[in-house]
Amino acid sequence: MSDLVETFMRRAINMAAGVTLVNGEGELGQAVATLLSPEDAIYCPASTALEKGLTLPAESLTEDYSAASITVEEVFGAIAETGTIVCSSQGGKPLQAGLLPSRHCAILPESRIFATFEDFFATLGADLPTNITLISGPSRTADIELTLTVGVHGPERLDVIVVQE
Amino acid sequence: MIGIKSSLAFRENAAEAVRDSSLRSAMRTATDTFTQLRSAGMASFPMDEWRDRASEIRLNVLNSLPDYLDEFSRNATRVGAVVHRARDAEAARDIVYHLLKDRGARKIVKAKSMVTEEIHLNQHLEVRGMEVVETDLGEYIVQIAGEAPSHILAPAIHKNRRQVGRLFQEKLGVEYSDDPKVLTGIARRVLRNEFLTADAGISGANFAIAGTGSLALFTNEGNGRMVTTVPPLHIAVLTIEKIIPTLADFASFVRLLPRSATGQPLSSYLSIITGTRKPGEATGARELHIVLVDNGRTEILRGECREILKCIRCSACMNVCPVYRVIGGHAYGSTYPGPMGIVLTVLLDGMENAHPVLDASTLCGACAEVCPVRVPLVKLMNLLRERRVEAGFTQSAERTFMAGYGMAVRSPKLFGLGQTLSRFLWPLLERVPGNMTLPRLPKPVKSTFKRRMSGQ
Repeated sequence: MSDLVETFMRRAINMAAGVTLVNGEGELGQAVATLLSPEDAIYCPASTALEKGLTLPAESLTEDYSAASITVEEVFGAIAETGTIVCSSQGGKPLQAGLLPSRHCAILPESRIFATFEDFFATLGADLPTNITLISGPSRTADIELTLTVGVHGPERLDVIVVQE
Repeated sequence: MIGIKSSLAFRENAAEAVRDSSLRSAMRTATDTFTQLRSAGMASFPMDEWRDRASEIRLNVLNSLPDYLDEFSRNATRVGAVVHRARDAEAARDIVYHLLKDRGARKIVKAKSMVTEEIHLNQHLEVRGMEVVETDLGEYIVQIAGEAPSHILAPAIHKNRRQVGRLFQEKLGVEYSDDPKVLTGIARRVLRNEFLTADAGISGANFAIAGTGSLALFTNEGNGRMVTTVPPLHIAVLTIEKIIPTLADFASFVRLLPRSATGQPLSSYLSIITGTRKPGEATGARELHIVLVDNGRTEILRGECREILKCIRCSACMNVCPVYRVIGGHAYGSTYPGPMGIVLTVLLDGMENAHPVLDASTLCGACAEVCPVRVPLVKLMNLLRERRVEAGFTQSAERTFMAGYGMAVRSPKLFGLGQTLSRFLWPLLERVPGNMTLPRLPKPVKSTFKRRMSGQ
């Protein structure tokens, strides 16, 4: 495991994300399957090679992410500095799919982990996609007596699967 | 509206707050927690270096603000946003109202924004028949309670779980619960429906990035993401000083803002929004309007207190302030409480409307010590206190005493006489019933410095 992957994983766990490391596409399917239950309504955009390679139970799949209980998708990248994943609207991804369901499973190729914010921002150039969302752990609030509660408007669970190539 | 007080009545408001023991215990828990989280979050980072850099970036922005605003507007327009400039609160309210009215919008979801509190946007839209729903949980709680936020990050911090439970039971018709998890679940269900049926979303922005025309929003709940991506129309309202030159500069603030606010390395969500939905994209509003509000900032920029405009609204200064920690946010009677709030309120509302809040500080300096962008808060509060004296907004007893004292210190004879007299008068004054100040002051000494030095 590289230092970058190790740092990212450690920090993401600190942010209360679930993190799994898998070796190649072969192990990815198994790691995703352990996060699913038969009652789930699964949304998967199936727009990238890793997403297309998944075998998800056909009867559980839904096209409507606002009615899904979990979204499984490959994300744009990650930032090791804070254990943050990066979602981008580039390529036609609906970012609301990672927001509306109560669980979000993010597939992250290890080659797309940046060390710092500066490293990530430097790759963007002058023309940004309409929406870049950096996600660190689940949706949370402490607005009632400062009691930490997860899943207020967004997912109550964020799982990141890091895929080593 | 309940909970909205006047800055001029600060002394009475503060006295009332001090007598409210449940408020005091809530404020103590909240500010202690935030302060501890912040300290823990800052440990092991080169904070002084980060703060110097951030302060430098903010000063650079203030020094060339008109140019940066032009650059931001040009770039935001290029990517599909429409940029509006509002000179004052009335102009800003008008722009937002007409944008909504012209599109037939009736229901509006809102993400937390202090400037929309400052310009009283909600009331303006509501009396014109629009439904405005605050979606940050704390903001939603104070909205349905008909109150104002008491903390800029945790607006409902003055309410305990039982009060929130009863409020939900009464206003939403749900079964009573005092479990924060259950109450949060209720808000999630109610507000989810509001997001999906809203005609427009209104948000603020923590920063606007000149080089790319982007807006940056930090949220923990995800409501900011909903408001800015689910409805077809997004209106962002922000004040002109929120500019950051480039994305590279922005990185400094990504590190500093959440750590200063809640001690988190980063908030759960950071959205960077650049223009409207482009061909082939499935995210982003169809229409984005950015309202840049001046409302007194250009005037402040020209004055001696311009450094207050470096403020990034993290709330660290209020969490450490010994006055704020006891009385909470409502007593200030202004949109912005705490040390940064004192300075900004006097500048925005005018000395004649706000001078009593200048007393809401012990000048201990804790605020300036934690400020991530090094706003010299004590210096600014002292400066404004001087201006208050010049403008004659001090109490007559204070003016009389200071005039007498001024006369005495200019004459060694009078001064000596005063010292002698005070030794005899002090024990008598201490016995005046209700005198709270005198017993806490150092007692006059028997032998004065001058007498000891001259060997008498």
